[in-house]
Amino acid sequence: MVAGDIVLTGLMAVLLVGVAALLTRVENWRSYTPLAGGGAVTGDETTVINREKPAGIIRWLTTVDHKDIGLLYGLYAIIALAVGGIMAMLIRIQLVTPAGAILGNNAYNSILTSHGITMLFLFGTPIIAAFANYFIPLLIGADDMAFPRINAIAFWLLPPAALLIWAGFFLAPVTDNMIEPARTAWTMYTPLSVEQANPGVDLMLLGLHLSGVAATMGAINFIATIFTERNEEVNWANLDIFSWTILTQSALILFAFPLLGSAIVMLLLDRNLATTFFAVEGGGPLLWQHLFWFFGHPEVYILVLPPMGLVSLILPKFSGRKLFGFKFVVYSTLAIGVLSFGVWAHHMFSTGMDPRLRASFMAVSLAIAIPSAVKTFNWITTMWNGRLRLTTPMLFCIGFVSNFIIGGVTGVFLASIPVDLILHDTYYVVGHFHYIVMGAIGFAAFAGIYYWFPVFTGRMYQRTLGKAHFWFSMVGTNITFFAMLALGYLGMPRRYATYQFDGAIAPLTQVSTFHQAATVGAVILFIGQLFFVWNIVQSWLEGPKVEDGDPWNLERDGMLDREFQWFDEQLEADSPEKDPSLLADGGQEEQDDS
Amino acid sequence: MIEEPGLSDQYPTASPWPLFVALGLALSEIGVFVGLFPVAVFGLILFGGSIAGILTESGYVERPWPTLLGVGVVLIVIAAGFTLWQVPVADIALSNVGTGPLFTRLVAVAAAGAVMIAMGGVASVMEQTAA
Repeated sequence: MVAGDIVLTGLMAVLLVGVAALLTRVENWRSYTPLAGGGAVTGDETTVINREKPAGIIRWLTTVDHKDIGLLYGLYAIIALAVGGIMAMLIRIQLVTPAGAILGNNAYNSILTSHGITMLFLFGTPIIAAFANYFIPLLIGADDMAFPRINAIAFWLLPPAALLIWAGFFLAPVTDNMIEPARTAWTMYTPLSVEQANPGVDLMLLGLHLSGVAATMGAINFIATIFTERNEEVNWANLDIFSWTILTQSALILFAFPLLGSAIVMLLLDRNLATTFFAVEGGGPLLWQHLFWFFGHPEVYILVLPPMGLVSLILPKFSGRKLFGFKFVVYSTLAIGVLSFGVWAHHMFSTGMDPRLRASFMAVSLAIAIPSAVKTFNWITTMWNGRLRLTTPMLFCIGFVSNFIIGGVTGVFLASIPVDLILHDTYYVVGHFHYIVMGAIGFAAFAGIYYWFPVFTGRMYQRTLGKAHFWFSMVGTNITFFAMLALGYLGMPRRYATYQFDGAIAPLTQVSTFHQAATVGAVILFIGQLFFVWNIVQSWLEGPKVEDGDPWNLERDGMLDREFQWFDEQLEADSPEKDPSLLADGGQEEQDDS
Repeated sequence: MIEEPGLSDQYPTASPWPLFVALGLALSEIGVFVGLFPVAVFGLILFGGSIAGILTESGYVERPWPTLLGVGVVLIVIAAGFTLWQVPVADIALSNVGTGPLFTRLVAVAAAGAVMIAMGGVASVMEQTAA
């Protein structure tokens, strides 16, 4: 133990000295020019600034430019999507046979836990932050985020968060399984999560805590940016729909994530310092569920509101019509934001809580369907009699609406107490929320990536591959998750690593068949994502350069938003010789680095 | 006064500090919660130092050293407060470091605070005598 401490001390000392040496090399601390406000520092008059950013890897490690940080968030989220997707494939392959095909029970539980946390916290939240970072300042005519450095801090908290969440997988082989991946499921219910002595659970909790700190910092930044950095032409009446949803989402984050952080700290204290927040003799295990879902249900809307904003922004562009009932889409966003804090206990109907409380939560949960339906009808009405152009982003938007209806309607049934008591903890719930998280949120993310691909790469993606990606995703999603709805009706419980039932409990043959169907769907979905990755990488490197600042021909309908106008200006002044300051997006030319 | 311009003077959209603020916070959390004494101490020093650096760079303060000293004082106050609140007076002894789970963690926080106070204080004095 003492030897371990000495080694750790040495390592830390080397790290700290290395950091100090690096900082001394790149920074001259005496040259700082006092300039309150945290904005761009212009340096001394003798220091002529002719470049925005350093070159190479240093650019990406030190950037505080909202566009660069947006790209970093995007890359991070796609890597997390790949990791979470591979975990999902392992789960689906496992369940092809009732006895489990490839994984032991412990490995299955670890992967199941990590899949959920990875997709929600390491893919979902960051991919939204990617779009918001890159495009909110452009859409509202701001130079950058209100706090560029806090923006960078928020991003850089995420890589350590991911490493901590996945730490058990890396550390189990080298610590002789002393530190294993967490097997708490993403909800981390007590007493299970307190009783698992495995330090991997602590590491995962710390990772989640860091990701929550990052989300909160980002939310504060977006609220400040949208309130204070708008161009004088942008007011509350003509603020775009995506900014509205990000503003609402940020408010939800501000109220929900600090609560998750506090609950996680309480759980860590219960685990390590013998406190009794969630012990029977203290607050009781149900306290965790209340705290977790008070965060957890708003989290659902934190994840879905900005994708709804993306669809509300993109879908009209390819319908040739302005968004129908814009004001009501904004009002419904705000209504969902408020109502989302009054529904949490619908996750706990079967816990034995007070039936009178249950009824009120059922009422609010059913009520939240109304603003959601307002949006759905507005999207459909926007398309009605429109001049539809079935580009890849538009296909993903239509897929979003379709999947959102199935995911949403199945959710309304779950909001009803008697139905929930039957379907609780079955695959019906899994099918329902995957229709939302994959079928809706995932699809909107893809729509955003394709729609703005020309802006952030300067190139065009390959249309055929894009459409293949859509159709494989649409078919795969519906096969996989519809099969899960059926599995739920058959009584298949969720989270099981195997399902060798007695035939009297559940019809095993049908259950196996639907599990196999779900796996086939997952394979189709997976192949679709290979198209996506290939398309994005190859098109970014070799795709045809976009010459026109209006690649989607939006000016014809008077729908060219500010971000494409900005893109057009960039194309106009692309040559660094004309104006070196416009090199902002390309960084410093490599040859100038000498 | 100004010699060579630093990275964040040359480039208005670059700053080396956010990465280290984040790394410092991550290491501090791991160190304090998992109970790894050296990681806690060095993580907190990195965190406090980066806060001093980023505040100086963005012009909120003129010199980093008083901030570093201030962060150190805050850490010591927190550690002392928790110790008096939660640790029995009889157990507050250097020989007990490494035995009680809470006390050891608090000592780590206080040690980081003490190092920051020393660094901030010495650097402030050196800067003033040099000037």
